[in-house]
Amino acid sequence: MEVLKEKVEEEEAAEREEAAERAERGEKTKRPMEVRREETTMTQEMLRDLERKLSEIEVSVPEKLLAFTKDTIDTSKLPLSYQSNTLKEEHLLQVADNFSRQYSHLCPDRVPLFLHPLNECEVPKFVSTTIRPTLMPYPELYNWDTCAQFISDFLSMVPLPDPLKPPLYLYSSTTVLKYQKGNCFDFSTLLCSMLIGAGYDAYCVNGYGSQDLCHMDLTREVCPLTMKPKESVKEEEKAPPKKYAIKPPRDLTSRFEQEQEMKRQEAIKAEEENRRKQEEARLLEQENAKTDPLHGLRVHSWVLVLSGKREVPESFFIDPFTARSYSTQDDHFLGIESLWNHKNYWVNMQDCWNCCKDLVFDLGDPVRWEYLLLGTDKPFLSLTEEEDEGMNDDDDVENLGKEDEDKSFDMPPSWVEQIEISPEAFETRCPNGKKVIQYKRAKLEKWAPYLNNNGLVCRLTTYEDLECTKTLEMKEWYQNREDMLELKHINKITGLNVDYFKPGHPQALRVHSYKSMQPEMDRVMEFYETARVDGLIKREETPKTMTEHYQGRPDFLSYRHVNFGPRMKKLALNSAESNPRPMVKITERFFRNPAKPADEDVAERVFLIAEERIQLRYHCRSDHITANKREFLRRTEVDSKGNKIIMTPDMCISFEVEPMEHTKKLLYQYEAMMKLKNEEKLSRHQAWESELEVLEILKLREEEEEAHTLTISIYDTKRNEKSKEYREAMERVLHEEHLRQVEAQLDYLAPFLAQLPPGEKLTRWQAVRLKDECLNDFKQRLIDKANLIQARFEKETQELQKKQQWYQENQVTLTPEDEDLYLSYCSQAMFRIRILEQRLSRHKELAPLKYLALEEKLYKDPRLVELLKVFV
Amino acid sequence: MNRLYDMEPRVMDDDMLKLAVGEQGPREEAGQLAKQEGILFKDVVSLQLDFQNILRIDNLWQFESLQKLQLDNNIIEKIEGLENLTRLVWLDLSFNNIEAIEGLDTLVNLEDLSLFNNRISKIDSLDALVKLQVLSLGNNHIGNMMNIIYLRRFKALRTLSLSGNPVAEDEDYKMFICAYLPDLVYLDFRRLDDHMKELAEMKHQYSIDELKHRENLMQARLEDEQARREELEEHKAAFVEQLNGTFLFDSMYAEDVEGSKLSHLPGVGELLEAYKDKFVIICLNIFEYGLKQQEKRKAELDTFMECVQEAIQENQEQGKLKIAKFEEKHLLSLNAIREESELSSIETKIVEYSEDITELFNVLMTLEMQLVEQLEETINMFERNIIDLVGLFVENVQSLMAQCRDLENHHHEKLLEIAINILEKIVKGEMDEDLPDDVRSLFVDKDTIVNAVGASHDIHLLKIDNREDELVTRVNSWCTHLLDKIHKDEIMRNRKRVKEINQYVDHVQSELDSLECGDLLD
Repeated sequence: MEVLKEKVEEEEAAEREEAAERAERGEKTKRPMEVRREETTMTQEMLRDLERKLSEIEVSVPEKLLAFTKDTIDTSKLPLSYQSNTLKEEHLLQVADNFSRQYSHLCPDRVPLFLHPLNECEVPKFVSTTIRPTLMPYPELYNWDTCAQFISDFLSMVPLPDPLKPPLYLYSSTTVLKYQKGNCFDFSTLLCSMLIGAGYDAYCVNGYGSQDLCHMDLTREVCPLTMKPKESVKEEEKAPPKKYAIKPPRDLTSRFEQEQEMKRQEAIKAEEENRRKQEEARLLEQENAKTDPLHGLRVHSWVLVLSGKREVPESFFIDPFTARSYSTQDDHFLGIESLWNHKNYWVNMQDCWNCCKDLVFDLGDPVRWEYLLLGTDKPFLSLTEEEDEGMNDDDDVENLGKEDEDKSFDMPPSWVEQIEISPEAFETRCPNGKKVIQYKRAKLEKWAPYLNNNGLVCRLTTYEDLECTKTLEMKEWYQNREDMLELKHINKITGLNVDYFKPGHPQALRVHSYKSMQPEMDRVMEFYETARVDGLIKREETPKTMTEHYQGRPDFLSYRHVNFGPRMKKLALNSAESNPRPMVKITERFFRNPAKPADEDVAERVFLIAEERIQLRYHCRSDHITANKREFLRRTEVDSKGNKIIMTPDMCISFEVEPMEHTKKLLYQYEAMMKLKNEEKLSRHQAWESELEVLEILKLREEEEEAHTLTISIYDTKRNEKSKEYREAMERVLHEEHLRQVEAQLDYLAPFLAQLPPGEKLTRWQAVRLKDECLNDFKQRLIDKANLIQARFEKETQELQKKQQWYQENQVTLTPEDEDLYLSYCSQAMFRIRILEQRLSRHKELAPLKYLALEEKLYKDPRLVELLKVFV
Repeated sequence: MNRLYDMEPRVMDDDMLKLAVGEQGPREEAGQLAKQEGILFKDVVSLQLDFQNILRIDNLWQFESLQKLQLDNNIIEKIEGLENLTRLVWLDLSFNNIEAIEGLDTLVNLEDLSLFNNRISKIDSLDALVKLQVLSLGNNHIGNMMNIIYLRRFKALRTLSLSGNPVAEDEDYKMFICAYLPDLVYLDFRRLDDHMKELAEMKHQYSIDELKHRENLMQARLEDEQARREELEEHKAAFVEQLNGTFLFDSMYAEDVEGSKLSHLPGVGELLEAYKDKFVIICLNIFEYGLKQQEKRKAELDTFMECVQEAIQENQEQGKLKIAKFEEKHLLSLNAIREESELSSIETKIVEYSEDITELFNVLMTLEMQLVEQLEETINMFERNIIDLVGLFVENVQSLMAQCRDLENHHHEKLLEIAINILEKIVKGEMDEDLPDDVRSLFVDKDTIVNAVGASHDIHLLKIDNREDELVTRVNSWCTHLLDKIHKDEIMRNRKRVKEINQYVDHVQSELDSLECGDLLD
């Protein structure tokens, strides 16, 4: 009882010092247990001091906040459950109040619990009922990471009205989604709803976060996109030396010298490391220079996902603002007051002096976590079952003396309407489809697809300095582009542009890196070689050379390198296309052709075009270390007698590893040379074609860049105009069909039946009269119609005659325009008259038939058929 | 058939062939060169000898690389003299007087064979022509439809012509061929349509199914035999063939006359059964042990070979790298020397260059010597291990064989006992069972019976000894052969490499020399 008394005293003290209460609470929440011990020693002076300090703190409330208050929300259209509480909810509120009272009595030094804030209709609602577990129909929202990312993109963040207190209002997720903005509690409620719906064991947490966390400030974080994936250095498994592995030759170098050298190297390295560390520390200091005076007091709400469900191996936090996951030991999370899901509410009874690092998330442990409702299917304490039960009861009685009524009480269903996100909104994601995130030395911009007409969806700009003034490089991601451009990487320092393409570019382009779009400059193009007939993988260009790499060609060509000479001066006026640069040297390399023996399979051939020299190098046989070589010198000379020398032994110099007989023959050499001559021509042609292709690709790229058309999937019913038109046409046809059917069902007897007293059976006489009336009426209608057409016809003819008369009278004085007018009128009138004539004749033809058809129909009418049968 | 018989038959002599080769050789500039140098018969790829009135094929043995040979429109009567033309792909012997297909057994690469307009009456002797695609046998005397079934074995055959034969007059001719040669595409220069094929198949389905069944059976038998042969081969490699059964035991009694006689004695039958069972168990032990040891030896050999290969590969890679580096430099320095104008600096450069060459030579040779040393060590180690393995194997087999011998001795003693008992019984006249006469003749006195049993015993022991000796000698000879081969291969490899290095260095040096000469002349 001693403790209790003490507590009561403390309470009284707290009441006396109401001015300081807020500060106290803040301090206490940071370390609830610790403070309690301290407070006995706290003097008035200290409190006053604290008060003064606190009053100095300026709480800057952003203006944006005002935009999202209750006034802006139209509450009139909200459903009943929003505007009132059911009996059960009332009951729950009472329970919660009771709990809160007991809690404040037992732990007077802690802040009041965040239990039932007001909703948008000013109705208090218990926080757990605000969570509405929902599984979204989008597969992307099925996993926690993408789901959190979506929410962080979809909503824009509004800071809490008072950064040191939980908000007074907690709106429903539907309202939050509608206005696309909310504070951290709104964020985490929505995320929690979706995660629980997706099967995670997720909880909303009310606690304390760091300033960066509460303000969604990522400027001190490194952008995850800029981080390079860690290259996992694969330790190549060294096979254990085999039994007969040869011994390495003896090492005759001095071991001592090696060691000395090693030591020296290490010393240098260590020094460098040291310097680097110092530098880093300095930078870090610079960055973190600004410390937060409200550290540990800022209220934040986030989501806790416990391990167990959905194969989550370890419990973790998700910050709903940034969609990042943190370990439960992270420095950003400074304390937890309470947490809740859609079924229950738990209060943290553990000490948070060391942030959240020592917290144990075993919600079944009533010493650590005080629960509001008993009997929900919450994880039990990780002891044995029976003990658990017993202990629960004991604690119950001891700690709070909870009444039996609680035990049978479970959480009422959520008052929130079904959470819905329209496909349009889902695709647009961010409010207005645009979002900018500032990271440390980087800026990330996001757009919804199809928002930018060049298909840009994401841009990452990295900067050299912290102030983000000097751009280092830019990365732009594209979507739905017809030219399949996926990513554009611009390095501002080197001026190097690299474009990445998805498969499907008309020229099978994969990567294109360049500094300028001018031909004959430094550039590298990589291709999807399987999509190309010639198997080209990569083409590198410098002003003087062009190198191509191939793969999978039937002629086993793997590499071609062309050296160009300076362009001929006299043709300089012409364009590059018509005046190709002269080729000086072509080097071609080939893969091994397994069908040929190695010493007849050419590995490399060099055409020295200017010198008329051809060099061949053959593949090396597997048991040799040297390869055959052959060099042809093409000289067309004339011997002393004036005969043309066809072939002389010195025109072909060859080195053969294993001399063969037939290759010594001049005939063989001559034939080989002739063949090579042809192939040289071919190679030159191919190189020329490659140049042309480069020009073509560059032209194509320029056109594509200018046009930047976006493709629309045939499944995209909203954007695909063609399919939309088609669908609408189909709908129209259906509609017309429907109308026609309705017409067919028109009752021609209805007006006549209406004259008769309702509900009575027709007599025969009546039936006959009915029929006759109907027929007469129809006849009259037909006649009327004929008369109408006749009248119109006559009117038209008269008018025409009049006009003609007028024309003949005034023919002389008419201006050409009037004459034209008259002529056009005449032709139109003639047309009308002809049509009326046709109509009339058609009517005359059809009228009797229609009449007969109606008569027939009337005879067969089910209402009349019995009565008229006699007369037939 | 209006052959001009007034022309005298000609002989295929050297002149005729030379003329033909010359005429059909390269044209224009290349022709001039060819004339200068002459063409060797063994380089000729295609030869045409039509309308030459040749009676006999002859003198073609030099044309080793010939691929296409045309001998049509001659008066050849017999296919001969083509044995050496193994590269032949295309052979035309149409419009001759050939009566039988023969002499084609070595032409395994032949794809196109024309025997049009001859006097052939039977299709056979084509078994070696597994790649045959086109066969032209029109205008011959083939009369029996069954000849076509012979053609089923040519899986690649697509074109066949048989028109002008008596067979082709049969109304069922086309259908029959379609049915029996379903892979055929062209018959008598016309494409066979699918409809026709279906019809034919339906018509002859029954007989074809039977034929197929027979063929399948044959195939299965062949495969079986092959598998058995392979298995035996494997056992032989383990030196324990036919020890996995009663073979050895049976062979012991195969030549043993007395033994079989004695087995009729009462009580010996059971004894023999028990003996046989035990003996076979030991044989099986030997067999299994042998297979296991064989595997061990193989694994040993494989690792050794692998390691040696790896070492050689690595060494070669190093050598290649050195040469590649040298070549890079070599090109530069050659160019430099060529472009250098000052005589003194040329000389210094040449000296420098030849120093490089010597260094390359030294480096390569050092590498090679290093490899030789390493390999020698490895080979010695392997030799030791393999000899140990073989020794162990022999030892164990010998101990097992000794068990066999013990068994035999044991059996012998028992047999002798029984025999003497019976002899005693016979002598006492107590023998009530009937014995065959030849067996009874052994029991005249003690010496005879003891001798008979002894002889049987000796034969058995001899057999066991022989088997043992065979195994031991064979495994030892295998071991020595293997080691010899390894040593020899290594020496060969070394010589080849040294030769290669020398050749290369000589070549580089000569290049330099020629450059020098050229410079001096300039």
